[in-house]
Amino acid sequence: MTTHLELELQDLTRKIMEMADVAIESVEESVESLKNIDVKLAERVIQKDSVLDKLEIHIDEECSRILVTKQPAAADLRLIIAILKSNTDLERIGDLATNIARETIRLEGKSLLKPLIDIPRMAELCVSMIKMAFRAILERDIDAAKSCISIDKQVDELNMQINRELFAFMMEKPTTMTQAFGLIMVAKALERIGDHATNIAERAVYFIEGQDIRHQE
Amino acid sequence: MILIVTIVSKEYLVNLIRIAKLRGIFVAQQNIKLRAEKLSFYYGPAQALYDIDLEVESNSVMALIGPSGCGKSTFLRCINRMNDIIPNVRAEGDLKIDDESIFKPNFDVTQLRRNVGMVFQKSNPFPKSIFENIAYGLKINGVRDRYHIEKTVEESLKRTALWDEVKDRLDDSAMSLSGGQQQRLCIARTIAVEPKIILMDEPASALDPISTQKIEELILDLKKNYTIVIVTHNMQQAARVSDYTAFFFMGKLIEVNKTEVIFTKPEKQMTENYITGKFG
Repeated sequence: MTTHLELELQDLTRKIMEMADVAIESVEESVESLKNIDVKLAERVIQKDSVLDKLEIHIDEECSRILVTKQPAAADLRLIIAILKSNTDLERIGDLATNIARETIRLEGKSLLKPLIDIPRMAELCVSMIKMAFRAILERDIDAAKSCISIDKQVDELNMQINRELFAFMMEKPTTMTQAFGLIMVAKALERIGDHATNIAERAVYFIEGQDIRHQE
Repeated sequence: MILIVTIVSKEYLVNLIRIAKLRGIFVAQQNIKLRAEKLSFYYGPAQALYDIDLEVESNSVMALIGPSGCGKSTFLRCINRMNDIIPNVRAEGDLKIDDESIFKPNFDVTQLRRNVGMVFQKSNPFPKSIFENIAYGLKINGVRDRYHIEKTVEESLKRTALWDEVKDRLDDSAMSLSGGQQQRLCIARTIAVEPKIILMDEPASALDPISTQKIEELILDLKKNYTIVIVTHNMQQAARVSDYTAFFFMGKLIEVNKTEVIFTKPEKQMTENYITGKFG
């Protein structure tokens, strides 16, 4: 027999997955818009941010309601705590995608210093991290959570590499300064997205095993 | 050289204990008020408890949870040997209070019940005045000093937050009080004789939410001076009032740990299933 609490938790999980899909779409589209300097797509990403904001508030309310009315314990309680905290991470991921989209708008009518390779690569890694973190929650898959956390290093390394490359551009040709600095901020945003995905994966581990693995290195 | 090693290892040990405490790992407790050792209990041929090993720390609240018939009330009634009044019962193993076995020959059961007070699900005040309900326990214990009795009655009522509600009608019948007040009166009666341990068998299950809250507040206050063992069917109540929770199932102690651990990350799947309402 499925209890009311189980049904509520299934519904809550479905909502956070929906939110994760929107956030993933935003990250993908923001980088896509930058790659092609597609201002219309960038504006769509910015508009989508309000969807994430509303979902964040809604999921927060749902979590408080379930905590108060069903008083869950053990794995049920841990799932709600994991969702409640991942919710904030997703909202922040949405904000960071918006920052990237704004960079596209700033580049309107200009051409890129060079075709983007590492930034889309970073975005791909970030998207796969978010997907793994949520698969961990959905399927109680501890390996998915651990893989997600291990990918974060690659994202950080790509960020450093992009920084080095763009600093070289700026030194060689100071007129590229504005665009290069903007792209550094984009890489920084993606690096932060990777951190948020890591947070979600850590919460997945807490949900699955009850272990808090944050800040262990 | 030896001295340095000793100092280092002592500091190391202190740090280990500190980390263990911080992480909530169960550190061997010095101050154990109550200890059950391989306690088994039989009603005639039927075994109700199987090899229970359980320690209750002084000045803490231990909640016993589990489905009906799991043995938690039987265990509770072993602590003041109240099961003795049932024919054909038998206990094996040991139960110690302050390291003294309560099953040893010639043990003073009357003294035991003085040291181990009990509060029941249904409040059971004597059909006497409010004052007499509390004074009675003192009087049968030989206290004759009127001033001392009056002072104890007042203190007991104050500690159970009942004084302000009844101070102007101490001579009224205890039966005129509300259910929640009667239950607090019974707790006041229990603490008037200064027991070491207070047993509570679902003390709030027949009360409204406000009275329940008062009883729970009282439990949290009382643990400063007493050791409390409470049986409750209300999981949230166990989570709210207890420091440790023990889960019983079919006469066996399945798991005991800090309450926060039991309700967030129990070790046994069976405990998890029970507290999340998947069976029970």
